[in-house]
Amino acid sequence: MGRSVWKGPFVDGYLLKKADKVRAGGRNEIIKIWSRRSTIVPQFIGLTFGVYNGHKFLPVLVNENMVGHKFGEFAPTRSFHGHTAVGGGDKTAKKG
Amino acid sequence: MLGVITGAHGVRGEVKVKAFTADPRAIARYGTLADASGERGFDLKLRGAARGLVIAEVAGVGTREAAEALKGVELYVARAKLPKPRRGEVYIADLVGLAAVAADGAEIGRVARVLNYGAGDVLEIERPGRDSLLLPFAEPMVGEVELERGRVFVAPPDEVEARGDEPEDAAP
Repeated sequence: MGRSVWKGPFVDGYLLKKADKVRAGGRNEIIKIWSRRSTIVPQFIGLTFGVYNGHKFLPVLVNENMVGHKFGEFAPTRSFHGHTAVGGGDKTAKKG
Repeated sequence: MLGVITGAHGVRGEVKVKAFTADPRAIARYGTLADASGERGFDLKLRGAARGLVIAEVAGVGTREAAEALKGVELYVARAKLPKPRRGEVYIADLVGLAAVAADGAEIGRVARVLNYGAGDVLEIERPGRDSLLLPFAEPMVGEVELERGRVFVAPPDEVEARGDEPEDAAP
C-alpha cells in the first residue's frame, strides 16, 4: 500500500533547511546527504546533492523530472558496470 | 567499438550482437564494421532483437558453425563515420581521456569514464594520489570542452554536509 496522500511526501527536515541555505548562498556547492529515503521535492530543483551509496557520494543534479522520486533511486548501491564498451559506442553526453 | 558478437542464433548463420550504440538497432546503420585488427569487414543486416541483443545476418556467413566462429569478435567503426554530435552534446568516447583542468589551467586529473545512473551524465575524474572526483556534466561544475586541445574545464564545488544530528537541527 502506498503512503497516504494527506501526509504529503516524506523529506528529512534538515534537507529542506540545508537546501534553503545553499540556495541563498548562491555558491557552487554540493550537498552531501545520507538521506536516501527522502523524496525529491520542487525546492530541490537546480541543486546538486551528493547521495551516499555506502561507498561514495554520487552527484545528483536535481531537475523537474526527478520530483516525486527518492534520492536513493539515483545512487545505486551495487556496482554493476555493465558490459558496455569503455569508449561508450556512439553514445553522447549532453550537458545538463 | 560499437558492439560485440556474443554467439550464433539459429542454424542459418545469424549472430547475436551486444550493441553499445544508443539505439541498439543503429549498429547496422554504419555500413561495414571492422574487427579489432581492421583487416576483416562485417556487413550486418538486422533480423530482430532478443533479450537485449540484436539478431543480425552477416554477409558471407551462412552456417551456424561459421557464426559460432565469430563469437567474441568486437565490431568497430571509424570515428569519421559517426555523425556530428548535436549542439551541447559530446561523444562519450571523446570525453574519456581528456585532461580536467581548473579555470587557471592547472590540471586536476583525467576523465576516466562517464557514468549515468539516471540523474544525468557524471564525469569520473581520476586524480593522482587521491580519490576520484565525480562531477555532474553540467554548468557550473563542468565548463567548456576543448576537444582539439584535449581538455575540459572543471570547477570542483565546495562540499557541505546535511546531517540530521547537526546542532542547529537538534531539538531545543
